[in-house]
Amino acid sequence: MKRFFQFVFDFLRASFSGGIFFWGWMLFLSFFIMLWVYGEYVQIANGMIVTGLNDQVSWGFYLANFVFMVGVAAAAVTVVFPAYVYKHKELHKIVVLGEMLAIAAVVMCLLFVTAHMGRPDRLWHIFPVIGIFNWPHAMLTWDVLVLTGYLALNIIGGFYYLYKKYTGKPVNKLFYLSIVYIAIVWALSIHTVTAFLINTMPARPMWFHSMMPIKFITTAFAAGPSLIIIVFLLVRKFTPMKIADEAFHLLSQIVVWCLGIALFLTLSEIVTELYPSTEHSLGLQYLMFGHHGLDALVPFFWTAMALMISSFILLLIPRVRKNLLLLPFICLAVFVGIYIEKGMALMIPGVIPTPIGEFAEYFPTHIEFMIVGGVWAIGFFVLTVLIKGAVGVMLGDVRYKEQASHRVQGEQANAVAT
Amino acid sequence: MISYRLFAPLMGLSLLAASPNPVSGEADLEGKQCFESRKDLSQVQQREIKPGVTNIKCSPTTGGVLYWGDPFDGTIPMGDMPVEADYSHEEAVVKPREPQIDRNKLLTICSMACHNGEYVPYPENKLARPLTMHKDIVPDAMQLKHGKQAIWCLDCHHAATRTKLIDNYGNEVSFNQPQILCGKCHGQVYRSWRDGIHGKRIGMWDKGGKKRWWVCTECHNPHDVQQGERNSGFAQLDPEPAPILPKGMLNTDHERGHGQDHGGTTH
Amino acid sequence: MSSQINKQNNHNSRAKDVSRRDFLRKAGTYSAASLTGAAMLLSPRPARATKNVTWAEHFQKNYRLMTDEEKEEAIERLVKRYSEEFGKKVNVNDTPAIDGVLFGYALNIQKCIGCRRCVKACVAENNQSRGDKQQIEWIRVMRLEKGKFSEEDRDNSGYPQDFGIQVGGNAYKPAGVVLEGQHYYEADKVPEKDAFYLPMQCMQCEKPPCVKVCPVRTTYRDPDGIVVIDYNWCIGCRMCIGACPYWARRFNWGEPDLPAADMNPDTHYLGNRPRMKGVVEKCTFCIQRTRKGRWTGCVEVCPVGARKLGNLLDPDSDVRKILATKKVFRLRADLNTYPKFFYFMN
Repeated sequence: MKRFFQFVFDFLRASFSGGIFFWGWMLFLSFFIMLWVYGEYVQIANGMIVTGLNDQVSWGFYLANFVFMVGVAAAAVTVVFPAYVYKHKELHKIVVLGEMLAIAAVVMCLLFVTAHMGRPDRLWHIFPVIGIFNWPHAMLTWDVLVLTGYLALNIIGGFYYLYKKYTGKPVNKLFYLSIVYIAIVWALSIHTVTAFLINTMPARPMWFHSMMPIKFITTAFAAGPSLIIIVFLLVRKFTPMKIADEAFHLLSQIVVWCLGIALFLTLSEIVTELYPSTEHSLGLQYLMFGHHGLDALVPFFWTAMALMISSFILLLIPRVRKNLLLLPFICLAVFVGIYIEKGMALMIPGVIPTPIGEFAEYFPTHIEFMIVGGVWAIGFFVLTVLIKGAVGVMLGDVRYKEQASHRVQGEQANAVAT
Repeated sequence: MISYRLFAPLMGLSLLAASPNPVSGEADLEGKQCFESRKDLSQVQQREIKPGVTNIKCSPTTGGVLYWGDPFDGTIPMGDMPVEADYSHEEAVVKPREPQIDRNKLLTICSMACHNGEYVPYPENKLARPLTMHKDIVPDAMQLKHGKQAIWCLDCHHAATRTKLIDNYGNEVSFNQPQILCGKCHGQVYRSWRDGIHGKRIGMWDKGGKKRWWVCTECHNPHDVQQGERNSGFAQLDPEPAPILPKGMLNTDHERGHGQDHGGTTH
Repeated sequence: MSSQINKQNNHNSRAKDVSRRDFLRKAGTYSAASLTGAAMLLSPRPARATKNVTWAEHFQKNYRLMTDEEKEEAIERLVKRYSEEFGKKVNVNDTPAIDGVLFGYALNIQKCIGCRRCVKACVAENNQSRGDKQQIEWIRVMRLEKGKFSEEDRDNSGYPQDFGIQVGGNAYKPAGVVLEGQHYYEADKVPEKDAFYLPMQCMQCEKPPCVKVCPVRTTYRDPDGIVVIDYNWCIGCRMCIGACPYWARRFNWGEPDLPAADMNPDTHYLGNRPRMKGVVEKCTFCIQRTRKGRWTGCVEVCPVGARKLGNLLDPDSDVRKILATKKVFRLRADLNTYPKFFYFMN
């Protein structure tokens, strides 16, 4: 047990040691985290009236970010999947970093959901046994299940691997691989269930189509690896850890194909909705063209489309795709494009017009921006901490130093037993 | 006799001047005057019926009654009806119409001053003819907005006893039971009313529960049921204010754009 | 049957109300401690509800799972809190569903004149938040525009012009009737000639999608067919608002603004008792009235008698007679929610 505490201590020490850049970055994030604390305080004290939400648009910025981050979390599988199923050597080494990303993303998801709740003080009502968990009827309970399960799988899988690496002991393959394979399937489930959360409501015709899960997954597998590419390039630049070019080539290939499919699905949706132009397509029409002068979302939609289409075309060119100087910028464009398209451009026109046809525009307030920005800062904070620690362990800088051999031997025996 | 003839209208007019309520009832000391269904013809005075409870709550914007503290306040038994219906085994009450019509002592004056059987002679027949009086109620008697010129005053009003209405056999019908009169022609509506489908009831919904029934003239103006081009059967009312605009909306211009483009198409 | 009970209840509460006031009036002159109580009686706005919520209220169970004693305790707590906040004796009923009753509603769309009086009556009865900051109305009346087909739009004013017209010039115009309702119409007088009106509220579906999506079962269908909400159990996730095809549910974005003087003290636990911020609410067919036999506020107030409520299990009820004899439809029947709110025509 002492060794485990030593691991946590060493891990965190590695996480929180760094130069001026590191501390500047952490300070920068802390500033936004302070804003988040303030925003949450104001929202809890006054109620959600401090947001721009209303009865017409009751789901907004928080859930838009939630849906997007579930995708990023699920995208960790794009690293894990080829690494283990296709025995891709380069990705194999950095698979733990993907898991760390997933942990940070799920933490963000949970914070976004909490921010969306009107009564976070009553969260315990949803816990089984002490509350009522309306499972299997309520889709939200499925989402709670898969998200917490996914968080647990990634924490167990990731830190089990790091801990073994830290202590220099061999990994129990049966245990570790079962966790990994379960996590692969589970990652798909978190995004599928999140899609079911909103597409099982015929009251909202814009969401009510069976393409939602696959569209979620493809956009996730475009945006997620884009972020992973950026993060890994930063890791390669700022840490001594080596990540081969090959890994980036594979990831960028995943991005381009998933982005292509996502665009294709978007096109299908637009044709299906706009060709007959029924009342059910009013949401999409509002998103794309506005409605009698209400056009808050129109520039966002076309920006997202421009970003996604242009980066898709660029990524199709092998020379561009393999240019690691250009790649992060294209990845950023993909990420931002999908963030808009799958965030606000999915959530808001889904609830505009209301089921009885009322159009009301939605503008997030500064409190919402504070909370959303703060959660992103928390996400990056957690990610930085996790990745710095993990990289330290992977490089062997952080490892268990034997102090009293007889005690270690006893614990070794324990470790083997587990 | 001549002196009486001159005296009676004067007495009637003096009664009119001395009537306690002004014609267009504004708020007075006792409480607001509100209307139930027909503005000015279903007025209720707000007052306390129990400590802290008023007989009605009124809309501050339109003066319409919003809430009955006691739904049976000021009602009388509906009385026997010649048919078997729900109210035969339920306690059914109505609000008497006569006080509404008589609120400016009109009904009293009618029978005393003019229609006392002497001053205004009975017409020889029921044929329509221009009226010199009552133009406030029926502006153009030759174009009565009820029955498409097929009926006239004395098809409904008792020729001799002007405080009463009349049924098909010439029997008197009280102003409090106009349904007996209206049912003469509007049989289907009358049946529907008896079933509780047409018209309005308040009080207890449950079987056997006490109900206050609204009678025809509480909602409809028998002298103008057509209500012009709308032909809706109801006089126009002031609507209650629209909901407050949702956050983020400055106006409702987009709702009014129906005559213009829809969607992204041009034409 | 229950009218007598109702009256007696009211009578008792009024008597208590008076005695309490007297006590406060007398005591207020002597003790400083009761000054706060007197101030509450005088203050036009209630104290912030959350301040007085006890720990016990925070940790109470879902209403449906409470034992009778727990229900009694929960209601006692609420009566105490509300009475202090609003400076009057507040009743919180827990009248259960009446045996043999399934509530149904019928609205005569031909009669509705769009006066919105039902909307305001509902607010007066059901203690919704009001005022500029947060206005909650459970009924929404839509104005649907009628219009004429035009001769000049008939022939060549559509598009495209070549090789025959595909979309006629009368499309996208208020010809016949426009599907998009106007929610914020402000007419000088109603009814208007070229419009009709469609009021909407909770349809009390037999298969309510809102209940299915609620992760904590705070909203459920009671045996008399009313879909109710335990406001103390709601976590404010607003899944139900997303799932409702009739836009019947409202959310308390901030602390409700309910002036003490306007507060209706005759309440039901699952109905019109004052809500707190962060929870969802909606029409309950005035459960505090209907379960005691009285018609809902909207039925009573409609100046044209367009609204009807009755027992669907009683063949003699007005609603059943309407279903039997009139042309009836429900909104969005394609969604299989089986509303118990019917629209009909003469």
